[in-house]
Amino acid sequence: MSGWKLGRHWNLLLAVSSALVLVTVLLALFYAPVPSCSVKTANELASSMEGSRITISGFVVGLDVSDDVWLGVLYDYNLTVADFSDYARYLEAVRTGQLDGQWWTVSPVIVRVTAGGWFQANGPYLSVGAGSNVSATGVVVIMPDLTSVVLRCESGYDVVELSSPGAAGIMTAPIAQKIFYFHMPSAWVSYVGFFLTLLFGVMYLRTRDRKYDRIASSSAELGVLFATIAIATGPIWAKEEWGVYWRWDDTKLVTTFVMWLVYIGYLMLRAAVVDHSARARVSAVYGILGFVTMPMSLLSSRIAPLIQSSHPQVIASSSGSLSPEAGLTVIVAVVAFTFLFITMLIKRVEIEESEDELEELKRIVGGEE
Amino acid sequence: MANAFTALYIAYTIVWAGVFVYLLYLFMRQKAINKNIEVLKQEISKHGK
Repeated sequence: MSGWKLGRHWNLLLAVSSALVLVTVLLALFYAPVPSCSVKTANELASSMEGSRITISGFVVGLDVSDDVWLGVLYDYNLTVADFSDYARYLEAVRTGQLDGQWWTVSPVIVRVTAGGWFQANGPYLSVGAGSNVSATGVVVIMPDLTSVVLRCESGYDVVELSSPGAAGIMTAPIAQKIFYFHMPSAWVSYVGFFLTLLFGVMYLRTRDRKYDRIASSSAELGVLFATIAIATGPIWAKEEWGVYWRWDDTKLVTTFVMWLVYIGYLMLRAAVVDHSARARVSAVYGILGFVTMPMSLLSSRIAPLIQSSHPQVIASSSGSLSPEAGLTVIVAVVAFTFLFITMLIKRVEIEESEDELEELKRIVGGEE
Repeated sequence: MANAFTALYIAYTIVWAGVFVYLLYLFMRQKAINKNIEVLKQEISKHGK
């Protein structure tokens, strides 16, 4: 089992990984452009709208599961970022991935209409359903925390609350977007790690060869490390862009958090079972079952891109507007993190082998005594 | 904008602190294991098996 002990070659691999990572940092900071879709900062946005009288109109995208809230899309006021004149066009855009290519502006402006007296007087939801046209006129009021814009209406709906400007598709902190160049590759290698846990878990169950268990457990540990980095850096961006660190109503965030917990459980399970073969067998089964959380996390924002998740979709469509500089930086970042992952995985597996060797020596010494 | 820069630096620090602390942990763990292996090997050779 000395195949993983690369010695000098591993040092070379680490040097290559480090160099790639350094290049990624330089590209992210000095080469990748600040997104051009930046309109205004949150404060500027708020002050420009405060007190102004606007009419908003659009169509209902869908109903929220909560009692008194439904969602709509706006398309005809001055902060509009998406232009969809009817529901059919909107659905077609979702279906064809047209929205995907709008770099960091994948979500049309989404409004949340909170029920008040008018709703209560007229019954819950009334006859408003997906595709219905809605409109309201009122005066813009900025909430004290500057994370939402409220329209106090004179007729129709009582309160129309826009999502935070960032969640509504207006970039409020473009510099913070550079976090993405490390957040996304971290998430990517964590997915790779969890996939390898599945793959080598299956191979262990088929062959009962201990080396597959070593790779599976090492992959899971690295997957948790990089998922932790992704989960820690995402909220820092979200705070700048959405105004809040976390949104429990966002499927992407919640499914990723669940995935992270599941693999923390995997590591805890391994630590709890003492017997080698039982530990390998149980954790292989757990790794296979737990893998279901990975596609849930990976695909959640693509399956329900506009209603349940305002997490940006990072894979641009063929018509996407990702700039070549940003695209190159993303590619280099993904390659660098993949190299780093492989480098760390080799070292981690090597340590597992050494631990097994140590256990064997302890057994021999114990037998002698 | 100053806040956005701060956020950027905090995020970058988290990334690299995470990676380098883990690498350090791997090196230290391997060093400790190798040391134990060496000690046990010497002990086994002393006792002739």
